[in-house]
Amino acid sequence: MNPHATAISRRMFLGRSAGSLGGVALAHLLGRSDVRAATVSPAPHLRPRARAVISLFQHGGPSQMDLFDCKPELNRWSGKPYPGGDLEVHFDKQAGNVLGAPYAFHRRGQCGMELSELLPHTGGIADDITLIRSMTTGSVDHESALRIIHTGRFLAGLPTLGSWLLYGLGSENENLPAYVVLADPGGLPVDGERNWSSGFLPAVYQGTPFRGGENPVFHLRTPASVPAAARRNQLDLLERLNRQHAAPHPENTELAARIAQFETAARMQGAVPEALDLSGETAATRRLYGLDDPITEEYGRRCLIARRLVERGVRFVQLFLNGQPWDTHDKNAERLRELCARTDRPSAALVHDLKARGLLDSTVVLWTGEFGRLPISQGKDGRDHNRHAFSLWVAGGGFKAGHVHGATDDFGYRAVQDPVSVHDFHATLLHQLGLDHDRLRYPHEGREASLTDPEVTGARLVPALLA
Amino acid sequence: MPSYRSVCLAGFRLWLAALLVALGASSARGVESFKADSRHWAFQPLQRAPLPAVGAADPVDALVRIRLGAAGLAPSPTADRLTLLRRVWFGLVGLPPTPEAVEEFLGDSRPDAYARMVERLLASPRYGERWAQHWLDAAGYADSNGYFNADTDRPLAYRYRDYVIRSLNRDLPFDRFVQEQLAGDELSGWRPGQPATPEVIELLEATHFLRNGQDGSGESDGNPDEVRVDRYYALEGAVQIIGSTLLGLTVQCAKCHDHKFEPFTQRDYYALQAVLYPAFNIDRWVKPNDRVVDAHMPGVLEAWTARERQLDAEAETIRGGFAAWSRTNRLAGRVRFEDRFEDGRPLADRWTATAPDDDAPAGQPPVRLDSSSAPGAYVREGRLHLLESGAAGDRWLSTREAFDWRPAAEGGWIEATFELKALNVADGGRPAERVGFVLAAHDFNDNSAVPGGNVLIDGHPDGVTTVHVDYPGNDSRSIGDLGRTRYQPGHRLGVRITAVAGGRYEIQQLTDGLPEGKAVALEAADLPRGAFAFEYCCGRSFVVDDLRIEASDDSNPQWVQLAADYRGRLEARQKERDRQLDELASQRTPRPPRIAWMSDAGPESPVVPLLKRGNPKTPGEAISPDIPSFLKTPGSSVQWPQPAEGARTTGRRLAWARWLTEPGSRQAALLARVTVNRLWQAHFGQGLVATPDNLGQSGTPPVQRELLDALAAEFIESGWSLKAMHRRILLSATYRQSSASCSEAVAADPANTLLWRYPVHRLDAEAIRDAMMASAGVLAGKSSGPYVPTPRRGDGEVVEDAKHPEALARSVFLQHRRTQVPTFLGNFDAPAVVFNCTRRATTTMPLQALSLLNSEFSRSRAADLARRLDREAGKGTEPRLRRAFLLTCGRPPEAVEVAAATEFLARQAEVYRAAPDAGTRAWTDLCQTLFGLNRFLYVE
Repeated sequence: MNPHATAISRRMFLGRSAGSLGGVALAHLLGRSDVRAATVSPAPHLRPRARAVISLFQHGGPSQMDLFDCKPELNRWSGKPYPGGDLEVHFDKQAGNVLGAPYAFHRRGQCGMELSELLPHTGGIADDITLIRSMTTGSVDHESALRIIHTGRFLAGLPTLGSWLLYGLGSENENLPAYVVLADPGGLPVDGERNWSSGFLPAVYQGTPFRGGENPVFHLRTPASVPAAARRNQLDLLERLNRQHAAPHPENTELAARIAQFETAARMQGAVPEALDLSGETAATRRLYGLDDPITEEYGRRCLIARRLVERGVRFVQLFLNGQPWDTHDKNAERLRELCARTDRPSAALVHDLKARGLLDSTVVLWTGEFGRLPISQGKDGRDHNRHAFSLWVAGGGFKAGHVHGATDDFGYRAVQDPVSVHDFHATLLHQLGLDHDRLRYPHEGREASLTDPEVTGARLVPALLA
Repeated sequence: MPSYRSVCLAGFRLWLAALLVALGASSARGVESFKADSRHWAFQPLQRAPLPAVGAADPVDALVRIRLGAAGLAPSPTADRLTLLRRVWFGLVGLPPTPEAVEEFLGDSRPDAYARMVERLLASPRYGERWAQHWLDAAGYADSNGYFNADTDRPLAYRYRDYVIRSLNRDLPFDRFVQEQLAGDELSGWRPGQPATPEVIELLEATHFLRNGQDGSGESDGNPDEVRVDRYYALEGAVQIIGSTLLGLTVQCAKCHDHKFEPFTQRDYYALQAVLYPAFNIDRWVKPNDRVVDAHMPGVLEAWTARERQLDAEAETIRGGFAAWSRTNRLAGRVRFEDRFEDGRPLADRWTATAPDDDAPAGQPPVRLDSSSAPGAYVREGRLHLLESGAAGDRWLSTREAFDWRPAAEGGWIEATFELKALNVADGGRPAERVGFVLAAHDFNDNSAVPGGNVLIDGHPDGVTTVHVDYPGNDSRSIGDLGRTRYQPGHRLGVRITAVAGGRYEIQQLTDGLPEGKAVALEAADLPRGAFAFEYCCGRSFVVDDLRIEASDDSNPQWVQLAADYRGRLEARQKERDRQLDELASQRTPRPPRIAWMSDAGPESPVVPLLKRGNPKTPGEAISPDIPSFLKTPGSSVQWPQPAEGARTTGRRLAWARWLTEPGSRQAALLARVTVNRLWQAHFGQGLVATPDNLGQSGTPPVQRELLDALAAEFIESGWSLKAMHRRILLSATYRQSSASCSEAVAADPANTLLWRYPVHRLDAEAIRDAMMASAGVLAGKSSGPYVPTPRRGDGEVVEDAKHPEALARSVFLQHRRTQVPTFLGNFDAPAVVFNCTRRATTTMPLQALSLLNSEFSRSRAADLARRLDREAGKGTEPRLRRAFLLTCGRPPEAVEVAAATEFLARQAEVYRAAPDAGTRAWTDLCQTLFGLNRFLYVE
C-alpha cells in the first residue's frame, strides 16, 4: 500500500490522540510547515502506560558478568584458557584467559535478584526493576554501538530515541525543552552532540543540553545591557507588528506560532532556572540522592534535576557521563568500584523518589550502556567489548517489577535464553509510551523511516517484559 | 472572430489534453500497486507534444490556470512591486534588496522593469553564491570527512564549492555541469605532472563531487574487515548521493536486496557501483588526504617554489650565521663523539645496524649503511640521510661506540645534539611525523639481561616530544614530555642528561644550545652504557648533520661563571636571529593549493563483486558496469570503453555521465525533472514533487505533473540553462501572484497544491544570517577561498571567530563541518550533513526566538545597523525609521509601524533615561526587534 495514499497530517494524528496533551502545549510542535509532511498512521493508539523517560546512560559498556549476571563458571575457570570455543574479540592481540568476577553477588529484594556487592543501592530497588540479562546489539565498535542504541542504526546522523518520542508525543510543557540532555560537567560523552541529534527529524525534536552555570541553554539569558523593562517593550513591539503583519493570513499557523514563540522563549528564560534550582528540595531528599557525599554529589544532583524536569512535563531526560568510563579495557575491577560508587546511590535514589511521589508508574527509568564485555581478560586485568550479551535495567512505566528476563551462557558471553535486541527493546519502550514502533514513521531518503526499521531489523515487542 | 490569444490557448489546451491522456494511465495505476514498474511516470520520456505559442499566455500560467479552473479557483492578483522585489532578491541572490534597488525599481515605470530587474540579479555574482548552497546541499558538500567522531577536516573542499559558484554564475549548461562533476578528470585528458589550463583546473575541481560523502578511511584502524567496510562506505555514499541528487531515487536500499518499491534491482546497484569502482578501488585504495593532485598553470608552482627557495636560502644564511657564531664562541665541554658527515667517508666505520653488545641487528631488514636503497643511511652533500622504507617496520642506526650516560658528579651533564636539516629525503615525499633517536641503545630485541636503556626521544615536528624508556617491547613506558620547540628543520636539537641529588638524573630538551622546557626524571637503571642511535620507523625519513655527544668539563673551577656569561650572549643572538626569521616568514605566501580530486586508480577493469546482503565479507558474482535496467531502451545501449593502450582511466564515469544527459532519453528526462523540481522548491518553498529526493514510485506523486514535465522539457531545450529556467519561473504570473489569503481558496485547497497564490515561507538559515549582516552594512566581501572556521567555543556554542577577518562572510563560506553546525544556523534548520540534504526543514521553535533576542550575533548586528542609521539617515526619527525598514524589510514603514516604533523609542528612552548612550541603546533595541519581525524572516 502506498503510505501516502492514507497519509494523514500529523496535526490530525496528534489532535485525535492528544487527550492527555494540552492544545497549547502542542502549539510549538505544530506551528511548522514540516509537520504537514510527516505521515503517521491514524491507526488506533495504544493506551500509554508512561509519559516520560529518564535515561541514565552508561557510556563504554558496563561489565555484565561483574555487576548483573553472576557466573560461577567464570570464577572456576579464571586464569585458564576459555573453554567455550570461539569468541569475537575486538583487540585480538591482547586476548587472555578467562577472567573471574572479582566481586561477590548477593540475592536482593523479595524477588531474590542476584546483584553485585558493588550495587548495594540498586539492590534496594531490586523489587522495582526489570533486569534484562539477554540484551544483544550489532556492533563492538563504541560509536556504531552508541548509534544503534540511540538511533537504531549504526550510521551517524539519524534521529535519537528522544527525538522519536517527541515527534510521536509532543511536549507537555512548552516553557521547557521537551528533550533535555544533562551532560557531565566534566565533558562530553564519546560521540558528543550526536548522542542527542534529531537527525533528519526537524530540529525542534533535538535534545537541548542544559549546561552548568548561569547560562544553561544557549542564548537563554537576556544580555546584561538590556534591562527587563526594555526587553518587555521589545516583546510588545514584536507582537504588535507581527500581529498586524499576520492579519491578512488568518489561516497561517506558522506565523501565529512564531509570534507565540517569543513569549514562550521569554517564559523559558524563567522556567529553566526554576527547574534547575534545588534550593527548595528537603535535606532528606538531598541526602537520598547523595548530595551530602562528594563522591555522589555531582551525579546525584543531575538525577535530582531529572526528577524535577519530569515533574514539570519534560518528556525525555538523558544523563551522560564524560568520555566512556565503563570501557574497562584495563583495571576492570578497580574502575568498576569507582564508577559504582559514583552512580549506584543516585540512580537508585531516583527510582525511590519517583515511586514515593507517585511518578514511577508514568516514568520509565532506563539504565544501560551500549554493549557488554567479554569473559576473558584483555591484557592483564581488563575486559574487551562484547555485542552478544549485555545487561540493562529498566524501572517504572509498566515494566515488570522485580523481574529478571533472559539468560546468558555459563560465561556470560552470549545471550542464550530470550535474547532481546536493542530494536526489540526500542519497540517495547515505545509501546509503553503509547506508540506503535511500526507506525511511528517519517519520510526520509524516499522511505518511511522509523526508529526500529522492523523490516530490516526484525524488531518486535517483548510482552514478557511488561506487567 | 477568435482573438489571437484564444487560438493560442486552444492550441495549448489540445497539447495539454494529449499530455494528460499520455500520463493518465500511470496515474490511475500508481497508488494501488507498489509493484516495481518501469512504466512509472517519472521514468517516461518527456512528451514532445507541440508547445503552445508563447505570447498571450505563459505556459506555466496556462497549465496552472487549467487546474485552477477545474477546481473553480482563480489565480491571485499580482503582488505589489516591493513584495515582488524582495521575493526575487531572496530567491535569486539570497539577500534583501538594497535601498537603492528599492528606489530604482519603484522609479522604473517601463513595462519591462520587472524583467530587467530579474536579469540584473541573474547577472550578479551573488546569484552563484546563493544557488551554490542549494546545490551543495543536494550534493552533500561538507568541509569534514565524518564517519568517525573525529570528523576530520577537508581543507581543500572549498575549491569544489568555488567551482560550483563560478559554474552557476556563468550558467554552465547543467548537463555539462553534471558531466564535469562525475568525470571532469576524464573530460580533461590531463595527466598528473602536466601543466594545466584554467579549464583543466575547473574540471579536476569538479570531481570533488564524488568525494562529498562521508569517508573515514583515512582514520580507519580496525581489523582488515573493518577497514574494508570503511572504504566501501565512501563508495556507497557516492552512489547514494548520485541516486538522490541526479536520479531522484533511493538506490541505497538495493545495496542488500532488490528495491522493494522501485524497479531498481540489486544488480542495478552494483552495475552503478561498477561505474564508480575504478575511482574507489577498494584494493588500491587512496586515503582521502592523499587523493590530491598538483595542477597549476604553467610556471605558477615553479615561481612559488623559486621564491620559497630564495627565502629558504636567506633563512639558512641567518641560521648559518647563528650556528657559526655559537660554534666559534660556545663554551665547549668534552666532546665524546662528533660526526660532521663529510662526503666520501664511509659511515660503516663509525655506525652500525647492530648496537654494541647487542646480539642481533635492529629490525628486519636492518638499515643498509652507505646505501640509498631503503631502509638506508648515506651521506650526501655533507649530511646524513636516513631513508626509511614502507609504512611499518622499526630499526635503528647506531654508533659503534657505547657511552656512559650517567655523569658522575651532581650537576654534571652529557648531551647529544644534531642539526635537523629536513623532514624528508626526496622533494615531495610526506614529511616525517617524528624524528626519533635513542640514548643508551643496547638491546633492540628486548632480550638482554641488562634492564633499562633504549631511551627513545620521539621528536615531534608539530606536537609534543615524548620520552620512552626501554623501547621497544611490552615493558616500554612513556615517562613524560619534553621541550617547547618543535622538531623542525633549522634547529640544533637534542637532549641533555644532568645528574641530580640522590643518584638520580634528569633529561631536558636542548634547542640551539639552550635547555628548554621541563625536565623529566630518570633513574640510574634507565641509563646503562649504550650507543646513540637514530630510529627508523613508519616511513619517516629525515636529514641531519653534525651529531655531537658532549659532556661537562668539571675540571675547570670557573665553569659556572663562564657558562652564565655565554648563555647571556647566546640568548641575545638567538633573539636577533628569531626576529630576522620572523621577518622572512612574513614574506612567504601559501603554496598554490592542490586539488582534492577523484580519478580512477588506473585504466584496468577491476573485478566488482555483487555483495550478498551488502556485506563486503560475502562477495558474489562479478558485475560489469551497466545502466539501470528500467531505463534501458531497446536499440540503444551504452558503449563501455575497452581498456585502451595508454589510457589513464577506464572511461566508465564519462560514458555513464554522457548516457545520463543524452538528449531525448528517459534518463535525461528524469534528471531534468529532478532538477527543475528542486529549482521550483527553492523559489516556492515546496517542490512540485514534495519529495525531491524521490520521484520514484514510493515518492509523492506531483499534482502538477504536466507543469513539471513542461518545465523539464523546456529545460533541456534551452540547452540545460538554469538561468533560462529561473526566467521562465520568475516571469510567470503564477510566481508573481500575491501571497494574500482568500478564504474560499483556503477552504478548497489549503495546501496550495494548485498554486492559487504564492506561498509565504520562511527564509532559510543562511539567508537569515546573511540578511542580518547585509542590512547592518557589515557583510564581508569574501567570494571564494578557504572556509571561515567555526570552532566550538568553551561554552559549547559553535560560532565564527569574531576576530577572523572574514568572520562576517556570507554563510556559504563558513566551515561546513558535519558535526559542528554553527549554533545560529542550526537553530534555523541548517543541516548536519550525513549524506546530503535535498530539502530543508522549516521549524518554529523557542530556540530561534532566543537566538534572535539574546545571541551575541544578533545583538552585534543590531548595533551595527543602528550605527549605519547614524551614518546614513541623520537624526530625525522618521528618516531613520524609513531607512531601517527599507534595509531590513525592503520597503518603507507603514503609518502604523511608524507609530508603533516611535512609541517604542519613547518607552526605551524612558528605560534608559539615566544612561549617557540612551539613544544608541534604544535604536539598537529597535533594530534587533526588526530582526524578529516576520516581515524580515519570511518572503511573501
